[in-house]
Amino acid sequence: MNIKALFKSLLLRKFTTGLLILQLAITLGLLVNSAILAFDAKEKVLQSTGLDIENILVVSTHPTSGNYRDLDYFRSISSEDMVKLRQLPGVNSVSVINQLPISARGNHSNVYDLDNPEQENIDRYLKNVKDFHIEEHLIDTLGLTLLEGRFLNSGDQLDFGSKEKHNIVITESLKRALYGDQSALGQETNNGFIVGVINDIMLNPTIPSDKQYGIFSNTVMEYIFVARYYVINVEPGQMVNVRNKVSDTILAVQAERDIFEVFTMAERLKRFYRDDQGLADLFMLLCGLMLFVTAISSYAYSQFHISRQKKFIGIRRALGARKKDILLYVLTENWLVYGIGCILGILVSFGFNILLSQHIVLSKPDTLLFLLAIGIIFISGTLATWLPANSTSNIAPVVATKTV
Amino acid sequence: MFSYNLKLAVHSFKRAPSLYFLVVLTLSIGVGLLCANLALVSSMAGDPIPEKSDQLFHVSMNTWPTDQPDVEPFHILRYRDAMKIVESELPKNSAAFYASGVYARDAQSKSLKRFDSSVRATTPGFFALTNAPFAYGTGFAKSSGMEVVIGDELNKNIFAGKNSVGKTLELDGELLTIVGVLKPWTLRPLFYHATEGRAFNLTDDIYAPLETAIDLGWSIHAKSSSTDRYKSVSSTRDLNVFYLQAWVELENKTKQQAFQSYLDNYTQILKDAGDHPLDILNELRDVNDWLLQLKLVDQKILAFTLASILFLCVCIFNASSLLLSRFHSAKFEVGLRRAIGASNKQMLMQGITESVVLGVIAGIISLLLSWLFLKLSINFLPGLADIAVLEPRLLILGVLLALVTSVSSALYPLYRANRYTISAELK
Repeated sequence: MNIKALFKSLLLRKFTTGLLILQLAITLGLLVNSAILAFDAKEKVLQSTGLDIENILVVSTHPTSGNYRDLDYFRSISSEDMVKLRQLPGVNSVSVINQLPISARGNHSNVYDLDNPEQENIDRYLKNVKDFHIEEHLIDTLGLTLLEGRFLNSGDQLDFGSKEKHNIVITESLKRALYGDQSALGQETNNGFIVGVINDIMLNPTIPSDKQYGIFSNTVMEYIFVARYYVINVEPGQMVNVRNKVSDTILAVQAERDIFEVFTMAERLKRFYRDDQGLADLFMLLCGLMLFVTAISSYAYSQFHISRQKKFIGIRRALGARKKDILLYVLTENWLVYGIGCILGILVSFGFNILLSQHIVLSKPDTLLFLLAIGIIFISGTLATWLPANSTSNIAPVVATKTV
Repeated sequence: MFSYNLKLAVHSFKRAPSLYFLVVLTLSIGVGLLCANLALVSSMAGDPIPEKSDQLFHVSMNTWPTDQPDVEPFHILRYRDAMKIVESELPKNSAAFYASGVYARDAQSKSLKRFDSSVRATTPGFFALTNAPFAYGTGFAKSSGMEVVIGDELNKNIFAGKNSVGKTLELDGELLTIVGVLKPWTLRPLFYHATEGRAFNLTDDIYAPLETAIDLGWSIHAKSSSTDRYKSVSSTRDLNVFYLQAWVELENKTKQQAFQSYLDNYTQILKDAGDHPLDILNELRDVNDWLLQLKLVDQKILAFTLASILFLCVCIFNASSLLLSRFHSAKFEVGLRRAIGASNKQMLMQGITESVVLGVIAGIISLLLSWLFLKLSINFLPGLADIAVLEPRLLILGVLLALVTSVSSALYPLYRANRYTISAELK
């Protein structure tokens, strides 16, 4: 096989070869970056939340009647809801809460130790600490792990309207931010006294995992009008059963309520990254179209070339080249083009990656992805040239004797 | 001559139908995809109120009561600052409002079904400022009183779209009278409340007087921020609770400057009294300036638009190499026509006619495809549902784009074809 001759033959059709190489390079660039987006999206959905997301069910609801402006009425209905939900077979534990983990927005408060108010100016995440209004069952419904002290109990719920300071439980990363390695128990913050520290869970996926600051206070009954969610811990395998019954159970207690949605925490996580997944899917769709178009080009390229070289191939055949040799010759010529296209494509991939990162967050390309993308291009390219290459090898040696 | 060229083009299509089919197909996929993306970008970057977008100004102030603000200046205001803005005589119209939500039902109806309704609790200037289109009745005249204006959709839901002025609504247990009903009203983006990811929400269902909503304690449904603890909106008037957005309509530069100094004077007085720890920074931004600052165009869509531009390039390259092979195989015909007297220019005209016809066909198909791609994008990114609209100017852009791509992909092949020597081809 004479590489120099191959190059010469390629140079004979600079324009079409150039176009095909450019197309291949762009296709490779897109393939690599689409794969990155797809893998990134997958990774996000699979990351650990610190919660048993498959077995936690959430009901979001809001009263529709003016009667609920009487907060005592609201409280009695909420308590009744929880009693009835707990009675459902397959339910381990039920709680009511003002906001959920895995959310970029919500109710925040600033937090600092009373002896050290400058803290929040050094760590800006302390200005936006998730402020959860909860009641004592939350530790079971979310399956939280206690690292220090105790969780909130019914005694931590103060008389409504009391000006006394609340007891609070904080997350591990918040404890580290406030007190480092020292114990946080008994310390007084602007939000109350710390009685316990729980493990970190994914409160806000958009901020670093060591900044998952949250405080919990037993105040949801006092501020019952913020109680938007029932959280239900379900026995493994009972999800479908429980899920089918929760809405009716709640409405049977009192019907003047809107039930917006019933979902598991796993669905919530997936929903949170829905747009990342959607974008990755769109890119995949584009990849498919791109491969299709590039395959057409590869086909047209070799077809065109062969139609021009018919006579020369005939001469080769007449001089003793076997069908196999001709097939190999045509394919090698195409592989050479793909090779050049892929090398250029690596540059395009990096360029495109940088361009995209101006708008979205995505990982850098790695070797494995390149190999994968190059493989796809070679395979689809070879498939597209197989037909014309095969028919070339069928050119009869007698063609050589024709003059036109 | 044109009809002759057209005839030749049709003849040429007939000779290599599959090749031309592929050319049209790739070009229209490329154009359709880009067009669908541009439709999304253009509706996210659009001007929702072109007739006076340069006269409406969003007001941001810097009255945060500590020296550690989250942002400077702040886009939401305290009650007392917002009141200072609406009580000024300088603007033609002004409005201060917050977003809330209630459940609504016809007070006379036997049904207890209530509709989840978004509420704009606002001062009366809102309607004139935003050019809200009334179907029946008018806006309310005062910031207090048990009166509301309702949107078209809620009117359809509760009153089957009939004139409901004078009827009474039960809103979270309170009775309020309808004084006005709006026509269907779309603002894309929703310029008056484009923050907190609400830019592509629909217009509100209920417009209620600001003081009434505050007195009734209708909760704040958008961003609020405070240094004081409070239980209900009804106690926020004197506290440092930031939750109101304010807009003013100022018709000319003189008025803008006058209003700017009005705000600066007011904050200077606060500062002199020691109530304004931060620097004085009162910002007036007109609609487009304000929307631009909020960066409403979805970055994901921008990223995908980049990819579809690359894809269109690939499509043009592909069409170009296909056409080249087509012209190459038509060498003999070209040579023959040149030999019997066709000039270079005539050959060029003929080639361009052919690609224009291709472009028009590709353009029409690409419109269909871009509609299809828009539907697909909504499928993949459901958040775009209210944004994905194909406006007429985009349809025109699509056809133009197809024409340009088709002609440009034929340029090099044509150039090559015209260089074939006559004698060589006739051998």
